[in-house]
Amino acid sequence: MQDKNFSESFKQVVSQITDIGKAWHSSDLLINAKYNAPYAKNSLKDLPSLDIAKQQEAIIVSAGPSLHKQGVLKKIKESNYQGTIVAIDGSLVKCLKSGIIPDYVLTLDPHPTRMIRWFGDDDFIENTRNDDYFSRQDLDVNFRNNSIKENEENIELINKHASKIKLIICSSAPKNVVKRVQEAGFKLYWWNPIVDDPKQENSLTREIYKINKYPCMNTGGNVGTAAWVFANAILKTPRIALTGMDLGYHLETPIEMTQTYYELLEFVNSREELEALFPKFTFPLTGEVFYTDPTYFWYRHNFLQLLEQANGETFNCTESGTLFDDNLPCKTLNEFMT
Amino acid sequence: MSNLLKGNFTTKKQVEAKQDDTESTSLQSEFKKAALNSIGGSMVYVERTDLTWSGDDEDE
Repeated sequence: MQDKNFSESFKQVVSQITDIGKAWHSSDLLINAKYNAPYAKNSLKDLPSLDIAKQQEAIIVSAGPSLHKQGVLKKIKESNYQGTIVAIDGSLVKCLKSGIIPDYVLTLDPHPTRMIRWFGDDDFIENTRNDDYFSRQDLDVNFRNNSIKENEENIELINKHASKIKLIICSSAPKNVVKRVQEAGFKLYWWNPIVDDPKQENSLTREIYKINKYPCMNTGGNVGTAAWVFANAILKTPRIALTGMDLGYHLETPIEMTQTYYELLEFVNSREELEALFPKFTFPLTGEVFYTDPTYFWYRHNFLQLLEQANGETFNCTESGTLFDDNLPCKTLNEFMT
Repeated sequence: MSNLLKGNFTTKKQVEAKQDDTESTSLQSEFKKAALNSIGGSMVYVERTDLTWSGDDEDE
């Protein structure tokens, strides 16, 4: 881990994330891939080709707080943008509500009760009982305040538009998501996650591949990065904009509202140690200060590492957050689209 | 409680009562394990891996 003077405790937590993730996901990846194999007809190899305008550029619509705060979807809608739109599960409903039908939507997280929320959850009350993961984050204020009614509206909205959308679905998807998206009528294109080096003996990636023979794609640990990998390495889009990819929080967000606040309490003995787990970054376009947490920082680190292997140009048009570097320039979304 | 529940026989071997905190320690450890998992991200990622893998060498 380079840049900045991070505390030892912060470095220690970040260094454990890969192992925590492996322990958490490994068995689900195999179980879900086996369960999903019979349902799959098409993989990434079967994607139809894009028209010329859509081949030229793509906007990745991730679901960070800037998606709303920077009015990303309104800007896209008003610009009459002709390029490709790659959304993720968490931003799909917001796109549809803004009158934008994404060309592609990515989903990958194997969580058995949380991911279904993004597609409208028939078991919403049961699946959100005793789980405040979403409600304590600054992701969707409308949903937080009026969740049951919003969920019902989301089901209807998604059912109406699903058949027009290509869902780029990972073999790790949980069974309730698979059932829901099939019923809704999405066009499904399957893939496997790269979760280790497939060239190594006993590789889990290779083991998953043997189950279904789908192409494998790196994810950087999260669906937003997977959406960018998809646009860059599968669609081979030469010019890509990232939006909603904050990987951080506005300074006014209390750390108690961050995604892993309670989990991080396990790692520290004092308030001072806790605060050291949330380092600050100054966003270059505006001078605004944001802070990150170990998991978002890990995503940031992974993204920048994958970017080194990429072809073409990528711009961060999130207009806020912590994701920037010498080879990842920031510009406004309007600049990118004109 | 132990004063109320007395048997009317003597055991050959000494029986030691289960420590009350064993169960709570185990629950605590389960909770800790579950809590830590959320930090692990949405998917496994290992450094220095490629953007894609087609599996071609597996099929050869």
